[in-house]
Amino acid sequence: MTAISVADLTMTYRTPVRPAGLRASIGALFHRRYREVTAVRGISFGVSPGEVVGFIGPNGAGKTTTLKLLSGLLYPTSGLVQVLGHAPWRRDYRFLRQIALLRGSRPLSAPPELTVLDALRFQQVLYDVHDVAFRGNLADLSAMLGLEPLLQRQVRALSLGERMRCGLACALLYRPRVLFLDEPSVGLDVSAVAEVRRFIRDYSAETKATVVLTSHYMADVEALCRRVILIDRGAVAYDGALAQLAERLAPYRLMTVRLSGPAQADWSRFGEVVSMDAGCVRLRLPREEVAAITAYVLSEAPVADLAIEEPPLETVIDRAYRQGMEA
Amino acid sequence: MNTLRILGAYLRRSVLQWLAGRSFIVTLVANQVAPPLIGLAVWTTALPRAGSIASYYVVLLFVRLLTVSYENHTFSNRIYSGELADDLLRPHPVVLQPLGENLALRFWHLLIGLPLMMAAVLLVRVHLQATDIALALPALLLAAVLQFLFTYLLALSAFWTEQAHGVVGFGSTLIFLLGGVAAPITLFPPGLRPWGEALPFRAMMGFPVEIAVSGVTQAEIVGGYLWQVVWVATFAAGCRVLWRRGIRRYTAVGG
Repeated sequence: MTAISVADLTMTYRTPVRPAGLRASIGALFHRRYREVTAVRGISFGVSPGEVVGFIGPNGAGKTTTLKLLSGLLYPTSGLVQVLGHAPWRRDYRFLRQIALLRGSRPLSAPPELTVLDALRFQQVLYDVHDVAFRGNLADLSAMLGLEPLLQRQVRALSLGERMRCGLACALLYRPRVLFLDEPSVGLDVSAVAEVRRFIRDYSAETKATVVLTSHYMADVEALCRRVILIDRGAVAYDGALAQLAERLAPYRLMTVRLSGPAQADWSRFGEVVSMDAGCVRLRLPREEVAAITAYVLSEAPVADLAIEEPPLETVIDRAYRQGMEA
Repeated sequence: MNTLRILGAYLRRSVLQWLAGRSFIVTLVANQVAPPLIGLAVWTTALPRAGSIASYYVVLLFVRLLTVSYENHTFSNRIYSGELADDLLRPHPVVLQPLGENLALRFWHLLIGLPLMMAAVLLVRVHLQATDIALALPALLLAAVLQFLFTYLLALSAFWTEQAHGVVGFGSTLIFLLGGVAAPITLFPPGLRPWGEALPFRAMMGFPVEIAVSGVTQAEIVGGYLWQVVWVATFAAGCRVLWRRGIRRYTAVGG
């Protein structure tokens, strides 16, 4: 049994195009031209109940489009998608009662004049949450998100971090079984990001909800997801354990050598020199040559300390985005 | 039952929301009452012997405030801003949101316009019969439904064009010209009057006023009600078709 099942999903749409200038603008009134954009091309994957999966990829890769397809906001051009046994695009009310989509760019959709408690009460009516359940869920969410001081405040007076906490409370008040998070930490400060991450991790562990999140911050993904799906130009470039992603994308490791004395060695013989300060050299080495080069460095240079590390995931992903996944 | 509860929730929410925008509502009310007041001044001067013309415009004031529809602002703008996506994810028909807001706005229009209407009733000799008012009430309800459907239908054009405000504005002009605001339909030239009676604009505005001021015969009342029902059914069907096509387009191009 999978919570989300996607097979050969494709989303293509037409976007109007025209050259710049007045003449072209007038011409476009009578003869419109379009360009076809394939946002998602033939992707397939499954997500088990209770799993937390991270969608990563460069801007315009198709992450948000995929989330919109999964939540029913978009009608797929072709392919199959099932979430909790429903075709999302039908937007069956039984389906909508079991999912939530939270967008970091607009976490709370309540009118700014209302108080947070007004917004939560409104959610209660929309999702038909019984009074007893409402009080229980509100107490839980208040404790987890520190909502108590915010309940009487107007939405317009909330900071972005507070909006995110309130948005999470509104989205989770009815205990959805699948939670889609689109850039949940965008624009938040360090402590707000930490709070949101902790909350999502606790919520998922406690309720066994399935969570699919997109984020440009690898720290979000590292903190929350064991599995990642990397999307590049609308296609799945990697689907697997986060731990193996660096290995797959970066066929190198980082060696840091601290020297106990002066060394005349030509470090570029061993690998790519990343940095070289007084008494400290940092090298990028091919994975398969790490053992041999380590032995050579130890025998050739006055080494005080030597460390071999995986490259930071952020750097690996950045390199992969810039050079292409195949690079 | 649940649908009514949700509609009630939207109504309460919008009433609260517009409480903060009350000064803007005063402007909207002023815009709505201006044409009937101008009509009152012009037609009572032009036809000083027509006793019912003053009553007509005072009742029209009331009907206008109770049938206002701004779906180009409340609904089309949600399509343009992308907020419609929030509505699509809620487990109820999307139309409940604009409908709740429509009712809230009518409530505020009535509340703010009430002193003005009372002043108009005191200043102008209004002659109304209780039986006529009773006969006019269902027509007023149908006019309110019809004007919402008409404006909502035009507001749905936002799925295809960024000119929805212009489209709805054109619709409002037709209601002004052919609905009995610029001139009562009964004063239309004989050749135009049957058209005025059959078109939907009178059914949205002038018809309940005509009944209230005893301006129509029993046969005309029956005919008017029939036209109202026909137009409500037509616009409801039109909204359904356009919504389906529009949402299909919206969900096909990226929201």
